[in-house]
Amino acid sequence: MGKIKQFFGRRSSWSIPYLIFMLIFVVLPLLLVVLYAFRDPQGNFTFENVRTFINERESVNTLIYSIGIALITTVICILLGYPAAYILSHSRFRSASVMVALFLIPMFINVLMRTLATVALFGFMKVPLGQATLIFGMVYNYLPFMILPIYTVLQKIDKSYSEAAQDLGASNREVFTKVTLPLSMPGVVSGIMMVFMPTISTFAIAELLTMNNIKLFGTIIQENINNGMWNYGALLSLIMLILIVVTNLFNDDKEEASAAGGLI
Amino acid sequence: MKKLLKVALCFACAMAVCACSGGNSGDRAHQLKIYNWSDYIDEDLLDEFEEWYYEQTGEKVEIIYQVFDINEVMLAKIERGQADYDLVCPSDYIIERMINHGLALPLDRNYGSTPDYTKNVAPFAIEEFNAMNTPGKNANDYSVPYMWGTVGFMYNEKYVDRSEVSTWGAILNPKFEQKLFMKDAFRDIYSPLLIYLNSEGIANGTVDAKKLMYDVSDESIAKVEALLMEAKKNVSGWEADFGKEMMTQEKAWVNWTWSGDAMWAINEAGDVGVKLNYVVPEEGSNCFFDGWVIPKYAVNTKAANYFINYMCMSENAIRNMDVIGYVSVIGTPEVLASQEELAQDSRYAEVVDASYFFGPEADSVLLNPIFYPDKSVMDKCVLMHDTDQDTEKLLKMWSRVKGDNLNGTILVLLGVVVAALIVWSVIKSRKNKSRRQGSKKRK
Amino acid sequence: MMKNFLAKAYIWVLLVLLYAPMIVIAIFSFTEAKVLGNWTGFSTGLYRSLFTSGQHEALMSAVLNTLIIGLVAAIVSTALGTVSAIGIYNLRNKRFKSAMNTMNNIPILNADIITGVSLFLLFVSLGVTQGYVTLTLCHITFCTPYVVLSVMPRLKQMNPNTFEAALDLGATPSQALRKVILPQIRSGMVSGFFLSFILSIDDFEVSVFNVGTNGLQTLSTYIYADSRKGGLTPELRPMITIVFVAVLAVLIIMNLRSKNNTQNNSLK
Repeated sequence: MGKIKQFFGRRSSWSIPYLIFMLIFVVLPLLLVVLYAFRDPQGNFTFENVRTFINERESVNTLIYSIGIALITTVICILLGYPAAYILSHSRFRSASVMVALFLIPMFINVLMRTLATVALFGFMKVPLGQATLIFGMVYNYLPFMILPIYTVLQKIDKSYSEAAQDLGASNREVFTKVTLPLSMPGVVSGIMMVFMPTISTFAIAELLTMNNIKLFGTIIQENINNGMWNYGALLSLIMLILIVVTNLFNDDKEEASAAGGLI
Repeated sequence: MKKLLKVALCFACAMAVCACSGGNSGDRAHQLKIYNWSDYIDEDLLDEFEEWYYEQTGEKVEIIYQVFDINEVMLAKIERGQADYDLVCPSDYIIERMINHGLALPLDRNYGSTPDYTKNVAPFAIEEFNAMNTPGKNANDYSVPYMWGTVGFMYNEKYVDRSEVSTWGAILNPKFEQKLFMKDAFRDIYSPLLIYLNSEGIANGTVDAKKLMYDVSDESIAKVEALLMEAKKNVSGWEADFGKEMMTQEKAWVNWTWSGDAMWAINEAGDVGVKLNYVVPEEGSNCFFDGWVIPKYAVNTKAANYFINYMCMSENAIRNMDVIGYVSVIGTPEVLASQEELAQDSRYAEVVDASYFFGPEADSVLLNPIFYPDKSVMDKCVLMHDTDQDTEKLLKMWSRVKGDNLNGTILVLLGVVVAALIVWSVIKSRKNKSRRQGSKKRK
Repeated sequence: MMKNFLAKAYIWVLLVLLYAPMIVIAIFSFTEAKVLGNWTGFSTGLYRSLFTSGQHEALMSAVLNTLIIGLVAAIVSTALGTVSAIGIYNLRNKRFKSAMNTMNNIPILNADIITGVSLFLLFVSLGVTQGYVTLTLCHITFCTPYVVLSVMPRLKQMNPNTFEAALDLGATPSQALRKVILPQIRSGMVSGFFLSFILSIDDFEVSVFNVGTNGLQTLSTYIYADSRKGGLTPELRPMITIVFVAVLAVLIIMNLRSKNNTQNNSLK
């Protein structure tokens, strides 16, 4: 028994390389974002960037607007994706796995190319490009990310739960609202995480789908970094980062579940 | 599955080996790192230059070619990132800034036994570079022009009459509601509008258009901003790249754009039966030059100098023009002959006075006026200048004009969601509390 | 019956919608117009010019770079992620374990653009020239957490006693690892590998900040820069179509084979 423990003890040290890797490539860069956000180009400590952000209505408004768009996108993704995931998880296993793969394949095609094709598609249907097409494009792009985690969680739910509920006299609807839905929440939560944040921060999709008429928060970050205004760009990134942390606190208690319910 | 993984592994290893041997292993002293606008060269010339350079100097060189799409992005990479490009191709005002900020190295036109082809550059371009705002330095010592063009309107002949877009005021024309594309480049909008606002003064000689290009006073900025705000209802998109494509699909009728982009779109639209044309408004406009500059952090300056020279050979200039649709600054008789030949079967050809470019013999030649506008048009075109510290003012004006998209619906929606979240969390915490109390009681 | 039909119809409608852009690209790969959406008559010219050697070197090298980086990143991530997952799973210090899990989640929950910007700042402030190696490292950074997440549930599902049993039956620990642990987590590794590969080849926002100044382009950054001046290279359309058909074909073949296997072995 002691020998085995020793063995497993050594296994645990396998996480050390990854720890070092993450410290360099995950933690350190984020610290640098914070550092740059409170510095001027000469490297002196300053709050100037914060002041600019607060005083410039455009940045704040764009942030709020992006959150709104992301919210709409997420809700539509849930409304479209949940039924799809539910249907897939309830169909026979063999065809379901193929179907899930079919939902994944479009992701093999480059995201910009996909978006350009969507623009062409709107062109044929004579739909004017704007907010509506932006949301459509976002849903388009992120729907698979909503379906997958929900499907994974739904598939893992022990069928005997719903059978037990049925035996105890619950109607189909009650089985769904009282058993299946609550049990599948971790999947929905990780789906939301995979849709909401990327929507706020993408810039290419917004640029292509609205003919540059609509800016999202990611657009301003990219513009600043590209124009050499790294410090202000870093501050905007920091604000985005804070937003991400805050949203994650909201589902803090479900952390373990959402991690497990991630992708596959 | 296992087999598949194994195959993938082998494949990847093989590829990685290829990549390492073909990738960055080269010796930096024999590399030439070029940073150019995308689609701005006949790429075959890159390979041919390597051979040519070997013939001329006996030295080997390997070109590393990268492209950018926005002047400022390129500048940021060099200024802040200290990238070691050997040769870049910025626009006129960035050339000014690079020279003034000490980011450009002086050129060395000592090519040994190789002829100095940079003499092929039209005097017209040299003069414009002489007049650049580079105190104490001459831009021609730091840069050789490459391509040039004008700013104007591309329009769809089916819906728009030439006279309607012969003025910058067309952006206010109610006929073009949601049918106008604006170039997403604040300089190329601001400067022509300054000319438009001062057109009377320019016409009667009280205002000097060339001096006007230095004007970044708050008053002028406010005037342009007001004009743009008024024009905004017409604007269907702020295009960085897609304007020309959309124009071929008749999504908009008028596009504020560069002559080179216009030519690209006109050719493409011709293939699908859409008739586009291009005009430089009568008030006058900007002309622009893109030129080669050797940045401060360059390593292989010799090859860079030779590359500039190579680009100035007439046959190479002609090949570049064929491929990219912009107009080379090379003004040799060979270029004139090739352009006259091209104009023969073009419906856009006109007899123009191109003496400013090709010399006095070319005062009435059949050319494409989108490429080579008549002298009367060019007389009214002026160069933009770097506004250095004041650029930020223009940028801010530009972001105010483009604005944000926050609207009532989104605000209401967010309010509802936030309220719902608060209500939900209150209910939840109450439930939790009662549950906890319940379990306590049970205990 | 009706309900079943509606459910099926819903899935198919969604799929058709998802595939519509691909179909558009495929259709317009058969015309030579430079602008996607214009039709200048049927032609296979683009396919021919795609395979005419030397013509689209920049595009081809971008594709090659994307594939190489994707594969290398996927392989390294799978190895690193699997090893780390086993390590993390066996950590006994609860705090340390949850810290590792949290850190592992950062790149997943973080927005791509922040990952891109932060890594960009890292390389800039360290003074490292960005290029092939750094971009691959970036991709490994955001791929590995997904591998950890796909392997972890398999580890949890595993019956720890089987390992002990193997040892009791005389297997050496390394044999037990190879013959007992790895087979059980292989499906997690495979899905982690494919996920990493997809994420890597589809990435734009991390790459665009980290391609550096050595002329490196991935497909995404190539397309983004390419469309700015002179319009999108038309040969992208046949290329994308070929990739798409190939992926679809692989899926169908794999599906058919696994069906055969099922019939033969009546195993999964």
